[in-house]
Amino acid sequence: MAGAAGRRDEVLAIIFEALESLNQELEPDERVEIGPATPLFGADAKLDSLSLVSVIVDVETALTVKWDAPISLTDDRAMSREISPFDDVGALTDYILELLQEISPA
Amino acid sequence: MDLYSGKTALVTGATRGVGRTIAEHFLDNGADVIGFARGEASLTSPAYRHIEVDLADPMAIQKAFLGLHGKVAGIHIVVNNAAVLTSQYAMIMPPAAAQAMVNVNLLAPFIVSREAAKFMRKTKWGRIINIGSMAASLEPIGDSVYAATKAGLSTLANVMAKEFGAMNVTCNTLGITAIDSDMLAQLPRDKIEAIIAALPVPRFATAEDILNVIDFFASEASGYITAQTVFLGGVN
Repeated sequence: MAGAAGRRDEVLAIIFEALESLNQELEPDERVEIGPATPLFGADAKLDSLSLVSVIVDVETALTVKWDAPISLTDDRAMSREISPFDDVGALTDYILELLQEISPA
Repeated sequence: MDLYSGKTALVTGATRGVGRTIAEHFLDNGADVIGFARGEASLTSPAYRHIEVDLADPMAIQKAFLGLHGKVAGIHIVVNNAAVLTSQYAMIMPPAAAQAMVNVNLLAPFIVSREAAKFMRKTKWGRIINIGSMAASLEPIGDSVYAATKAGLSTLANVMAKEFGAMNVTCNTLGITAIDSDMLAQLPRDKIEAIIAALPVPRFATAEDILNVIDFFASEASGYITAQTVFLGGVN
């Protein structure tokens, strides 16, 4: 199993792949830039609500398959946090690493 | 070419009754079929994959879907058929029986549909069909919770139709009348016959009546048919 840094890279790759997949469905002027600071939710985000749902579903599915355990990114815990895990890619990565640490410590 | 060649259909409650009839129909017409049910498989076919799952348990359903990732190319058709029925006056209905109806008849179709939709969005094609009941419209005494869950199925399909429409996934409900089944055997025959006698078409449903509407909702040509409830026998 990858160490902490390797695991971060794995999670980032999964999120980037989900955003790539989304971009393939969008018109050129609607596509999002892909990077750790990409806003996912809020005033700065380019994603509409359905696009965000698509990204969440793709990321959840990839995580669930890779770690062989159901992983939910949208349970009460995520929604009640002071800083939303969906602010940007970095925040989502941190939240996922936190969840993974609980099911499979790095 | 067979009607469902190249399609994978998931049917809940596939071991007996209406669910088994629908699963067999898909198999006979070229589909691969995944059956979700609490009991052991009652169908044997190379194209049939049986998964024992307690549909009253949302986590068990999610785990069943987890096991399908990488093993099936897609899920194209879902028939939410599994249901449980306890008919009893509300004041003496056991809460556990009411809870079981909510879990199996309403929550399970929600979980199954949402998990299947994640497969359908990849192929941009899907048909979700809920098996409703005339009870949703006729509201018979004793069926307070059962009728409510079946009415809820239509609402569930109608909202999901909006959410999944952009993915070319339709969501509809087939409200069946009485058909000879294990579930029907739990009810007093005279009560059922009185209800049937009052229908515009006063007879029991047949497998063909049900499969006719299943084929309609599942067909390629029905991509513009969504958020609809079709009742058999003239119920409305």
